[in-house]
Amino acid sequence: MLEIRDLHVSVEDKEILKGVNLVIPKGEIHAIMGRNGSGKSTLSYVMAGKSGYEITKGEIILDGVNILDMEPNERASAGLFLAFQYPIEIPGVATMTFLKAAMNAQRKARGEEELSTPDFMREVKQAAKMLEIDNKMLKRALNVGFSGGEKKRAEILQMALLKPKMCVFDETDSGLDIDALRIVSQGVNALRDANRSMLVITHYQRLLNYIIPDVVHVFSNGKIVKSGDKSLALELEEKGYAQYDESAA
Amino acid sequence: MVIKLNKNEEILYQALLDADAISIAKNFRSVGLPTRRNESYHYSDLKMLLDNIGQIATTATSTGEFAFNIANSFQLQIVNGEVQILGDKPPSGVVISTSNGGMSEPNKDIIAQLNSALTKETLHIDVSENLETIIQVDRCFEGKAALHNDGVEIYIANNSSATIVEVFDGSSEEHLSNSASKLILGKNAKATHIMVDISSKKTRHLQTVQYEIEQGANLHSLIIHAGSSLARTQLFANFNGENAHADFAGLMLVDADRHSDITIDVAHKVPNTTSTENFKSVVRNQAKAIFQGKILVAKDAQKTDAAMMHQGLMLSDDAQILVKPELEIYADDVICGHGATCGELDENNLFYLMSRGIEREQAKAMLVRAFLAEIFDPITNEDLYDILAGIADDWLKE
Repeated sequence: MLEIRDLHVSVEDKEILKGVNLVIPKGEIHAIMGRNGSGKSTLSYVMAGKSGYEITKGEIILDGVNILDMEPNERASAGLFLAFQYPIEIPGVATMTFLKAAMNAQRKARGEEELSTPDFMREVKQAAKMLEIDNKMLKRALNVGFSGGEKKRAEILQMALLKPKMCVFDETDSGLDIDALRIVSQGVNALRDANRSMLVITHYQRLLNYIIPDVVHVFSNGKIVKSGDKSLALELEEKGYAQYDESAA
Repeated sequence: MVIKLNKNEEILYQALLDADAISIAKNFRSVGLPTRRNESYHYSDLKMLLDNIGQIATTATSTGEFAFNIANSFQLQIVNGEVQILGDKPPSGVVISTSNGGMSEPNKDIIAQLNSALTKETLHIDVSENLETIIQVDRCFEGKAALHNDGVEIYIANNSSATIVEVFDGSSEEHLSNSASKLILGKNAKATHIMVDISSKKTRHLQTVQYEIEQGANLHSLIIHAGSSLARTQLFANFNGENAHADFAGLMLVDADRHSDITIDVAHKVPNTTSTENFKSVVRNQAKAIFQGKILVAKDAQKTDAAMMHQGLMLSDDAQILVKPELEIYADDVICGHGATCGELDENNLFYLMSRGIEREQAKAMLVRAFLAEIFDPITNEDLYDILAGIADDWLKE
């Protein structure tokens, strides 16, 4: 279970997050919707532990532990996974080498044995099949030369292999055509689990047709201004975000 | 004209007189060790940097260990400047011999002159087939800190090919080694020539490399510095025949307060030849890496295509990377370029790897290895690839 308590975050003395409170119980999918610049991506980066953000107040608790003092890799090993809006291309790092290093690093952190190469290959093959990922893609350098859709599928592949407890999807639908959106959503839905929580960050309602959330939160001006069920997403689509700008101000 | 010699120069001067190298001694008496006033030593003032020069090394009492063993290789050793021919007879198409004294027609550079005058024995490797076996030549230093001089002359006959690996692996003493290698590529010959310095941290390593590239020949040259406190490789290449191509690559892995210098001088003397230069350096602590590249295109050398690149990676703020490109072009229909970059590891890349659970140090090592991929990827022999990449991995773990 994830709990964010009164989170305040500044970048270069400008406050971006202004008291975020959020509870995502085990097994639930929550969506955060907000317009560009409302601080949604900042929230996802702060959760994952990116440097450059000053946390002035608040806590992020994952399964009873405040993760804010942890390094990004420790947060990952604790079960947090961020699917990036723009997955990073890293020439020279082979995708398979990266996947194995990540899986084994997390196993090591949990005191488990390293994966054997055949076991690793088997897991990758299974996950790749589910996400319609071509073997050729896995032979390339990490995200290099991948299309937008391939990059997002590669993110979900990583998630499938790392089996996190808490998944955060930062604008996973951006840059995806309908087919890619369907494949990515199928992947995410296949990973829905009673022990796994998910947070879907988006500014379009479209993604939520494929990944049905339990709770929808409206994000405006650095905090959550309204929460409701999935019908809130439809209402937002129809009426826009403007009404919340005023209530937040 | 004579100059005032310091005590290290006196030792070298006396060694030259003892070797009866009168004209070189006379020349040395007038110039001494190169200083920053000499353009190609601008960042490596050897008069300042070389101290505690020992006496000429005496014959070793034992043979050394090979630094590494490559599958399907023929190994030779030069211990304290003397050639040791061990074990099996050379593979078919290879003739190994020695000659007294130093290299024939050394470069006029004073360090090359010193080497030629003080070398007791030169190793000759003549290849006249397409060789599968890799030829490995290890330089080893035995005994107390001393001055070592040696030379290797390799000739790849017309239409023949070979891979030659030279390894410099000093003992833990404060040796100064001054080595020379000459590689002559006959018509349509092919060679991969790799030079690796993994000497101990006390050793000072100087090497002069000379290439003569004939018509249609193809060379892949790779220099790796990953050891000595002071390492300087100077490379001179001459394109003497048309339609020849060479790739010059190099890697400097430098830490602590070490000093590493690769200075390369490529002369396109005839039309229709091409070359690439791809050098990288990774520095940390207070280390210093220097790359100087010069490309000369002679008046007749039309259609030359030559590209020079150096990329530096700084792992600490106190380290230094100094780069100087030089193009001297007399022909008017050529493509010639140079580039240099210098930077740190990308924080976004590091964050991405760490966000998947990979620890910071491992993530850094993965990114450095990624940076070096272009250097190692052309090595097609898997065993050799693993050994060379392993040298980088070991350096990263230190």
